[in-house]
Amino acid sequence: MSEPILRTERLTKRFGGLVAVDGVDLAFEPGRVHAIIGPNGAGKTTFFNIISGMLPADSGRVFFAGRDITALKPHEISRCGIKRTMQIKSVFPNLSVADNLWITAKAGDGFLHPFRAASRFAEVAAKVDATLEQIGLAAVREQTAGTLSYGDMALLEIAMALVSSPKLLLLDEPICGMSPAETERTVAKIRELARQVEIVIIEHNMEVVFGRADDITVMAQGAVLARGTPREIGADERVREAYLGRPEDDDA
Amino acid sequence: MEILLLLAMNGLVWGLIIALIALGLSIIFGLLDIINIAHGDFFMVGTMVAWATVQMTGNFWLAFLAAPLIGLVLGAIIQRVVIQPIRNAAALSIVATFGLSMILQETARLTFGAVPKRLLPPIEQTIRLFGIDYEVYRLFAAALAIAALAGFFLYLHHTKTGTWMRAVRHDPDTAIAMGIPAERVYVLTFAIGFALAAFGGAVAAPITTVDFRGGVDILPVCFMAVIIGGLGNLPGTAAAAVLLAFMEGIIQSFADPTVARIASLVLMSAVLLVRPQGLFKGFAR
Amino acid sequence: MSRRALERAILVAFGVAMVAVPWLVPALLGSFWVSVIAEILIWSLLAASVNLLFGYVGLLSFGQALYFGFGMYGVGIGIAHLGLSFWPAFGLGIVASVAMALVAGIFAVRLTWHYFAIITVVFSLIFYFLFLTIKPVTGGDDGINFTLPPTFRFGQTEIGLADSTFQYFFILFCVAACFWLMHRVIQSPLGKALMAIRDNDVRASLIGLNIYRLRLVAFVMAGFLAGVSGALFAFFGRYSSASYMFYHVSGEAVVWAIVGGTGTLFGPLVGTGIFILVREVVSTQWQHHLLIVGVIAILIVIFAPKGFVGLWRGLMNRVTS
Ligand SMILES: Nc1ncnc2c1ncn2[C@@H]1O[C@H](COP(=O)(O)OP(=O)(O)OP(=O)(O)O)[C@@H](O)[C@H]1O
Ligand SMILES: [Mg+2]
Repeated sequence: MSEPILRTERLTKRFGGLVAVDGVDLAFEPGRVHAIIGPNGAGKTTFFNIISGMLPADSGRVFFAGRDITALKPHEISRCGIKRTMQIKSVFPNLSVADNLWITAKAGDGFLHPFRAASRFAEVAAKVDATLEQIGLAAVREQTAGTLSYGDMALLEIAMALVSSPKLLLLDEPICGMSPAETERTVAKIRELARQVEIVIIEHNMEVVFGRADDITVMAQGAVLARGTPREIGADERVREAYLGRPEDDDA
Repeated sequence: MEILLLLAMNGLVWGLIIALIALGLSIIFGLLDIINIAHGDFFMVGTMVAWATVQMTGNFWLAFLAAPLIGLVLGAIIQRVVIQPIRNAAALSIVATFGLSMILQETARLTFGAVPKRLLPPIEQTIRLFGIDYEVYRLFAAALAIAALAGFFLYLHHTKTGTWMRAVRHDPDTAIAMGIPAERVYVLTFAIGFALAAFGGAVAAPITTVDFRGGVDILPVCFMAVIIGGLGNLPGTAAAAVLLAFMEGIIQSFADPTVARIASLVLMSAVLLVRPQGLFKGFAR
Repeated sequence: MSRRALERAILVAFGVAMVAVPWLVPALLGSFWVSVIAEILIWSLLAASVNLLFGYVGLLSFGQALYFGFGMYGVGIGIAHLGLSFWPAFGLGIVASVAMALVAGIFAVRLTWHYFAIITVVFSLIFYFLFLTIKPVTGGDDGINFTLPPTFRFGQTEIGLADSTFQYFFILFCVAACFWLMHRVIQSPLGKALMAIRDNDVRASLIGLNIYRLRLVAFVMAGFLAGVSGALFAFFGRYSSASYMFYHVSGEAVVWAIVGGTGTLFGPLVGTGIFILVREVVSTQWQHHLLIVGVIAILIVIFAPKGFVGLWRGLMNRVTS
């Protein structure tokens, strides 16, 4: 068996009395599309926040391709090749779409030249252009990112993750709030991406999850409830309970 | 020894007055998210009102009524005219209140002149206390400040609008969703903040000078109290004000006043960097 | 004419006018106004340092007067106490302010938002009071006066700032060089990274930017601009004084920058120019010119929050579209 691309050991995060992530042990094998599902407040986003370094874990470790990245800062983790999108869309609102991608592509370099004009970095510009084409944002390249439609902004986030040549992509509800047409386009993009990079995706839309994912992890109340192929998860009684609550008559 | 005691006493009295002013600063900061550069000048307005009251009526006691009333009215007007339009831009609010500070200072200078004035305390007796002769008015001022502080906390916890203010400070969105008229609370907050500072000014007028630049020195001290006490921690702010003035009073007995000031500033930076929630977290909420 | 061409034409005309000042202004207005313009140029660098931090990194510093003061005292102490000649004193001023900015920045850029504004003003106050107490060195509020050493010496002939035309060009050159440097930085990868941090610091760290280090770099650069400004002001006034380190000086620079328009290269110059001209024109007749300054600050913030340059851009957008 090959080394997991991402592995967590007894990862725990508390907010006051609430245990948002509760001793999670997970290993994500390379070469498969992984999905994390679970009801609201299950701790999925918090799990991503810990991996990407935005929140410190209370205990436990995170390994990326065998390397311990638990104590690293967000930018160091990003430079390892882990890129993510946010559940609440997060771009640079006052920069143009092209500049959003430009700085994202350049950010991984340790050295940012202070005096050479940005326009003179030809490879970066070429990469930006290629990504704009690939994601289908070329038409809005000069538009200020803050004025984009919600769907375009979500696409820009994916484009930003992509332009920085990730090894592992963490997508947090990438199609939430999109129109059906945008959803279709984005899902196709993600499937295409899955061939080049490792992807872990948090998603509520069951169609997307069951259609595209190879492995599904179900989280509830901070813990892993079940893991398996879409078929196994679809048949799991506990998962259905976690989503639908217990049958009506039990409540009464 | 006597001088130490005297300075410590003075520090304590002064600290209670500062606590009043800093409380105003803190609620404005906490509710409106504004760094109010003009807050020291609100204090100065209070001292000017006291002086004008004595000039016009010859009765100092009226100032204790006039200063907070004028503060309330001016505060409400300023909030509506200047602060409300820029509610969503905290950085702009610093510029606006800086402009306000200039306007208040220059208006005061225009009306009352540039020469610092002294106001005689309405009570001129001294009393023998721990072996020193101490001005009765200072004790009275301390009592007034304590009364005002207590009054403010009672107001905050036992009136409808006080509860609104606490709710908006705690969580503006939920408060608005619950039907609390946030706009009115903002006006009220700014007005009360101004009134507290102006009242502090009236109380302090006889123990300091009445000067159009009188607020410039007060402002940093108030900020220190707010930061060291913890942003939004009102009892902490009051305690920090007293502590700081007391500490500065004691340091002044053996060193230069500016050394005392530097000491409190260094303490404040340490708090900002190490415990931005303030020294008294968990002290009272 | 396209908008870009128009703006370029204005810039060139402005440059030519600035070069022509020592001949034009004395003839039209009187030679006093040459020194007013020189003073505007000097102070615009202090406003530019506020702008670099606030307009491009999103950090509102209320303590830039500290680095201004270090630039000023580097020159003053260098000449009056250490007997340095012109250029070493200039260098000392700049090095002192940059070093101070580095030390203060290491702590200050840990904080953001209101906390950053407060810690910067606290640092500047600490040194303001400190400089007041060490009177033998700093002269306190009264400051220290010094006589200017010559700038250049060719055999027997000396050129120095005593020659007012030379002084004007010396200041113009230094200020123009700083603005040019700032322009280069804004256009560079570093500049884009700073703007990304200004827009969204969480996202910036997620794409791999070391936001702490970059903010520190910007803070030191801003300290440099403020330091040059202070050093020039010391040369210009032939004295250094702690009173220029008080928070009011920092506050005025913030007002100038925001009223002129932050996030634009020349906004601070415009803001500084307007306020100093108001001061010079009004204060001869009426000593309450600060009243006008306060009113302008409030009106701009309410009605044109992007400042005069923002107003101008809005106007241009309407004209050209
Ligand atoms: N910064 C925080 N401070 C306090 N509590 C938090 C914080 N972030 C998340 N929580 C809480 O932790 C729990 C898990 O939140 P999380 O956002 O990880 O859930 P989620 O699975 O992503 O849910 P959703 O499907 O709604 O996005 C929730 O109860 C949430 O309220
Ligand atoms: Mg989530």
